[in-house]
Formats: sequence, C-alpha cells, structure tokens
Amino acid sequence: MTELSGSLLLFLLTAASLVAIGVYGFIIGPEPLRRILALNIISAGIFMLMVVLAYRTSGSGATELAADPVLQALVLTGLVVAVSATAFALALLARLEQSSSEMSAPLQLKQTEPEQ
Amino acid sequence: MMILLLVLPLLSALLMLLWPRIAPLLALFSAAASSLLALQLLLQVAEQGTRYWLLAGWPSGLAIAWQADTLSCLLILLSTVLQLLVGLYAFATRSRDKLSQGFWPLSTLLQLSLTALWLSRDLFNLYVCLELLGLVAVALVSLSGRKAIKPAFNYLLLSLFGSLCYLLGVVLLYGAYGLLDIAGLASQWQAGWLSNSALLLMSLGLMLKAAIWPLHAWLPAAHAAAPAPVSALLSALVVKGPLFILCLLWLQLASTSQAQAMAPLFAAAGLAALLFGGWSALRTPFAKNLVAYSTVAQLGYATLALGLMLKFDQPLIFAALWLFVLAHALAKAACFLAIGEMSATLGGKRLTILKGASQTMPLAMFAFAVAGGSLIGLPPSGGFLAKWALLQGVWLQGEQLFWPLALVFATLLSAAYVFRVVVLAFDRAEPVAPDFAPQLLPQWLALLPALAVWAMALFSEPLLLLLRLEAL
Repeated sequence: MTELSGSLLLFLLTAASLVAIGVYGFIIGPEPLRRILALNIISAGIFMLMVVLAYRTSGSGATELAADPVLQALVLTGLVVAVSATAFALALLARLEQSSSEMSAPLQLKQTEPEQ
Repeated sequence: MMILLLVLPLLSALLMLLWPRIAPLLALFSAAASSLLALQLLLQVAEQGTRYWLLAGWPSGLAIAWQADTLSCLLILLSTVLQLLVGLYAFATRSRDKLSQGFWPLSTLLQLSLTALWLSRDLFNLYVCLELLGLVAVALVSLSGRKAIKPAFNYLLLSLFGSLCYLLGVVLLYGAYGLLDIAGLASQWQAGWLSNSALLLMSLGLMLKAAIWPLHAWLPAAHAAAPAPVSALLSALVVKGPLFILCLLWLQLASTSQAQAMAPLFAAAGLAALLFGGWSALRTPFAKNLVAYSTVAQLGYATLALGLMLKFDQPLIFAALWLFVLAHALAKAACFLAIGEMSATLGGKRLTILKGASQTMPLAMFAFAVAGGSLIGLPPSGGFLAKWALLQGVWLQGEQLFWPLALVFATLLSAAYVFRVVVLAFDRAEPVAPDFAPQLLPQWLALLPALAVWAMALFSEPLLLLLRLEAL
C-alpha cells in the first residue's frame, strides 16, 4: 500500500481538480455548450474517483490486486447515464438553436408530429 | 405484485413507442391497473407489515435493497392515481390541445421512475431513479413547443448538476464504508468530516432538484412553460422524489448531532420559501406562474416540517410532513388542471383573463377555489390536517411561540394569493368571453383531485396513525 500511495494521491488530486474545474466552468460559463462540457468534466472527475477508490479498497486487505467489482459496475452504469444525458442535452441545445434562428425569421418550419 | 408495478409501465411505454396509435389507451390502462395494484399493495403492507426485497437474489451488501413500507405504498398509490387522472384529462382534451404523441410514453416512464424511487433503499439505485426522473421530466417540459425549450434546457442543466453532486456524495460514502444500502450504512454510521461533507453534497444536489429555497429559481419558469397536464404531474409528484431521498438521508442516516446542526438551516429555508414564494405568487401577472410560485411556497412547509422533525424528533411532525406532501400533490394537480383549462378556453396566459370566470366556467373555478382552500389550510381539508398535525407536534414540545406565529403569517400569505384569483373570478361586471363553449368533462376531472383532498379529512385518523407509526 505504501509504495502506491504516492500515485494514488496523484490520482485523487487529479480527480478532485477535474471536479473543481467542471464546477467552475458550470458556474461561470454562460455559453450552453460550455456548461454541458463542464458537466461532463465533473462526471469524468467523479468516475475517476470511483476507479481510484476501487483500487484502494482491494489493495488494503488482500495480497493480490483485484479491484472492487461493485465500484466498476457503478462506473459503467454511471457512464451509460452520463452519455444518454449528454446526448439529450445536446439534442435539446440543437432544438434551442433552431428555434432561436426561427424566431428571428418567423417561418412555419416547426416540426409537428402527424396526427395519428 | 411489486414486480408487476414496475414491469407494467415499462412494457406499456415500450409498446407505445412501437404502436403510437393506441398509446393513449395503453397509458390509461397501465395507469388504472397500476392504481389497483398499488391499492392492493398498500392494504397488504398495512396488514402484514413492511416488506423487504434483495433484488436478483444476491446476498445483502451486494444486492440492491428495496423496501415497501406504508409511506412508500401511499406515495405509489398517489402517483398512480394522479397519473390516471392526468392521463384522463389529457385524453379528454386531446383534440383541442395539440399535445405531442410523446406525452404518453414519457408520462408512463415518469410513473415507473417514481415507483422505483419510492421503493428503493439503495443510494446508487436512488441516483439512477433520480436521473431517470429528471430526464423524463425535462423531456415532458420540452413537449409544449419552442417557447419551452429554453426553460427545459436550464432545468436539464441544473438537474444534471444536482444529480452529480448527489453522486459525488454517494461515492464518498461508498469509499468510507463500502456499503450502499441505507439500513446497512445507518448501522455503521460515524459522524466525521467525511460523512458531513457527503451529506452536505447530497443535500445540495437534492435541494436543487426539489426546488427548495434558495435553489428554487428554475422551477417557476419550467413548470409554467409546460403543458397543463405536465405541470400538474411535475408540481404534484416530480419535486417530491428528491424530497423523499432528502428525508431518508437526514432521518435514517444522519447522527443526532448532525441532524441537530442541520435542523435550523432546513427550518429557515422552509420559512424563507413560504415568505418569498408567497410574495412572488402575489406579484406575478401570469396565472400559471402564480400556481408555480405557490408550489415553491408549499414546499416550504415540507422543508420546515423536516427541519422541526430533525430538531424535536416528534412522530407527529413526521406525519405532518407527509400529509403536506399528499395534500399538496392533490391540490396542486387540481389547480394546474383548472388553470390550464381556463386559460385554454378563455384564451390567454395572464391572470386578468380569469375576470368573471366564476360565471363563464363555474366548475373549473370551483375546482381552483376548493384546491386553494386546502393550500391555505381551511378545515376540513388535507392541508388543514397537515398544518394541525404540525402545530400540535410543535406545541407538544412546550412553549413555542415563534413557529405557530410564523405558520399563521404564512397561512395569511397563501390566503392572499388564492383570493387574488377568486376575487378576480367573481368580478362579474364584464366577464372575459370564452373562445369556445367550455367543455364539461375536463373541468370535472380538474375538480376530482380537489374533492379528494377534502376527503382526506375523512381518513384523517388512519392516515395519522399509519404515518406516525412509520416515524418510529
């Protein structure tokens, strides 16, 4: 454990600074795309923290280095959630851009679902 | 039966996507069947006691823990019944309000995520439910066209930020204890800087998602922009999900010293929400914004009750907290449906279009006034029941003058914004003429939850008993 703690500390610091950068970008940035990216950076930081914690939990007790499977499963689930949320946010942003360009030139281009 | 409560909405939502033609019927069928199942589950749990599940047969510690107690069952019943009612309203007005086809699968998914949230007792599983709930809610807001995109986008960003804060807290706790289920965590809980910061991070995220003052600024825009049935669902149910998790965290996990430290903050936030939410509701020129600000104010009661519960640890206050949630859900659904119906028929979003509405649309106006009575807390409504339980709980703690006085003041403020609408509606000199003949069925559907909230008074004894037992 002791010979690892240096690199572990580095990983932990990286994760923490990723979260901090993301939070800063989210609060400061007025640009919508930038805020979506900031959210992604926060989640990258959190996932990195999870991966590092998985390493640490197993390293303390056992002799072999098997990472904690529960945290890895959580990271996978979290990634799926983050990817779909980002996709949704980007789609919404595209709609926003489209509708704001329509507002300036009012045309009946709005998509309406066909009546079933 | 619990499995069916989840599989039924999921399957029907998927079928709706494949087969949009029968989507409304499928949605109504699934909501009706789920309501029956939820009622049966409630009766079973009330008779035989709390039920526990470890999903997929894993040993405890690895498995996701689920639990059905009376509170969870009551909330499931509430969500399925409101789902059915709002679905019926949307179906009754489908030819007039061009509600997008997306409403049906999305609202069914909303019911699914809420049911899972009420049952789950696993921190990470709660995160997944919360995220699903947030995404579905945003998609529902964006249904009402281009004007709603901007509020929906802001709602999405804040909701994602809130979930990430919550997730970071969960990860910290898992790093410290190696556990995710709440019962297991509670048995090993130690107050320290790690658990303090985890609790604060999770609370920050949840308060943002539950629109608890001072993190409520996104709510009025998002709820007012959505179509009427969606605003009813959002205000009645969606904000209660994070509130439920917040209560789980502070009442079951936090140690006494942590709870005592947090209690004044929650109580102050609740009081501020009551004052500022009520004041904004009194000032806004738009009808739907008034109802949305009233949601902010009414959530203040729940936050205040949570703070007082942490401080005094009195089961009656816990019962009051959930009575507020139940009464507010029913009353707010009625308010939004009634206001939506009136602004669709009278043609406009401003409050001034309601001039003379007691003459042109008496039923919808009656629904609003009856629901408003419960928001104020007039006896014998559900709102009165909740407020009475809260006052009684506070009074049992000895000479407390500040909280009863604050509650009276908040009551006056809510009476002021409800009467602002009612007075306008009784101004019959030059009523605003409806654009078309008012439809009767949607107005009746708006009246139903309003009547239900007054009927809560009839079941006050068993409700109080059940909820008080839950707090022990």
